[in-house]
Amino acid sequence: MPDHGQVPALSISDLTKVYDDGTPALDGLSFTVSAGGFHGLLGPNGSGKSTLIGIIAGLVRAPPGHVRVFGHDAVSDQRRARTLVGLAPQEVHLDRFLTASEVLSYHGRYFGMAKADAERRADELLVAFDLEDKAGTRPNRLSGGMRRRLLIARALVHRPRLAILDEPTAGVDLELRQDLWKYLARLRTEQQTSILLTTHYLEEAEALCDDISMIRRGRIVASGTVKQLVDRFGGPRLEDAYLSVMRGVVDEVPV
Amino acid sequence: MSDAHVGEKMDAKRLRAASRNGAIALSGREVRRVTKLWTQTILPPVISAILFMAVFGGALGGQLRQVSSIPYLWFILPGLLVMVVAGQAYANASTSLFQARNEGYIDDVLSSPLRPAEIVWSYMVGGLYRGWISAAAVAIAAIPFVPGIEQWFLALVVLMLTGIIFSALGVMTGIWADSFDQQAFVATLIISPLALLGGVFYNVDTLAEPWRTLTLLNPIYYLVDAERAGVTGLHDSAVWLSVAIAAIVAVVVTMLAIRMFSRGKRLRP
Repeated sequence: MPDHGQVPALSISDLTKVYDDGTPALDGLSFTVSAGGFHGLLGPNGSGKSTLIGIIAGLVRAPPGHVRVFGHDAVSDQRRARTLVGLAPQEVHLDRFLTASEVLSYHGRYFGMAKADAERRADELLVAFDLEDKAGTRPNRLSGGMRRRLLIARALVHRPRLAILDEPTAGVDLELRQDLWKYLARLRTEQQTSILLTTHYLEEAEALCDDISMIRRGRIVASGTVKQLVDRFGGPRLEDAYLSVMRGVVDEVPV
Repeated sequence: MSDAHVGEKMDAKRLRAASRNGAIALSGREVRRVTKLWTQTILPPVISAILFMAVFGGALGGQLRQVSSIPYLWFILPGLLVMVVAGQAYANASTSLFQARNEGYIDDVLSSPLRPAEIVWSYMVGGLYRGWISAAAVAIAAIPFVPGIEQWFLALVVLMLTGIIFSALGVMTGIWADSFDQQAFVATLIISPLALLGGVFYNVDTLAEPWRTLTLLNPIYYLVDAERAGVTGLHDSAVWLSVAIAAIVAVVVTMLAIRMFSRGKRLRP
């Protein structure tokens, strides 16, 4: 049993993924998210972010030995690894036969929570995400922003040690986005939850993340703190460094 | 649990218990889905079976008063029960799984620590529940018209095995199908004809060749025959051999469904 205080939250080494139809998605990708860290993963559409996240969460097949969650292999020891991960995927897919409250409580129970615990936790999260008056509403009757918040709440029901948020603020208005930022910052400081965030809003990554990795064509092409990236690839803002890397001015220069 | 992360320090025993909890929750969700949508899931097959009884047992019953020395309605009831359980167990498991895949919300189950066997069994529970509730409704509707059930235990065992076999086939179709058309294809072109040609409405001895041989090659015939033995005491084949073969088939198709889910080719790219 790995010691969760010592091992990284997420360790990926030399991960390659080619889909059955021959489409390459990841090409020897490696990076680490430290325990308690807030890590941003930036890259253009199609760069491999969602494939990577799918592999970590068990939604995409991968060979064993390349992805470890708090020391547990995400493939050969997948059940332990999965209990530690909470995923808010980019696409909003929610069971339309359940109410918002049931979406959360059932999800908690799939992760082994007792019914009463899961229902209590669902109530807590509905309040935290300002959805308490929608508890009995089905997802298809919620607005896009509400569905997005419900999806993030679902990822957190079983109190994962590693929360993976794939573009969690896409389509969310500015006010709600800032509320979410505050919630995520609190989640990290109060519950020591490690967070892996993908986003196209670079100011979001700049405000929240300790470390950032930039991915292009399935490989990490740059990584470091915001300051390191800006110093290395040109600033003054993260956006400038990102554009430098992605436009190929700098090709694969890990910090 | 309240302040602890779920996966932290979870030993194998606790992981198993947690996994069981999850499987019970998923089974409960499937059962709830059937109950919530009862006008789509339970009512139609019950109405169809009652119509079959009304037409074949009532309207035509006057001309087909006795088959193999028992009232015709009593003769067709076992086959109707098998048909209802088979059709509904199959439809529920295949539709629920395919819908979850098609709409993408299966991700919440696939990303959970539930084992493939637990997920498959949970989807099968929904199918079994729908099949058995529908069969119970048909049996209740038939009470005024039939003398009784000869061997309750045998009748229930056969319906249980029928439910297991067809819900497992439903899971396999739910994994395999890439469209509603493919999902409906199996039900319309394979399950329904096999059920209708499985000796539900006729005695196999009265058939001419090649229909007699074709019926004897139809696996559903043996389920119908064994169920008929349970309900009426009348049968053509060795009943316990039919039950034993059905039990083996039930185990094999359930294992195939689990294997198909574990391999995950259509579930996980």
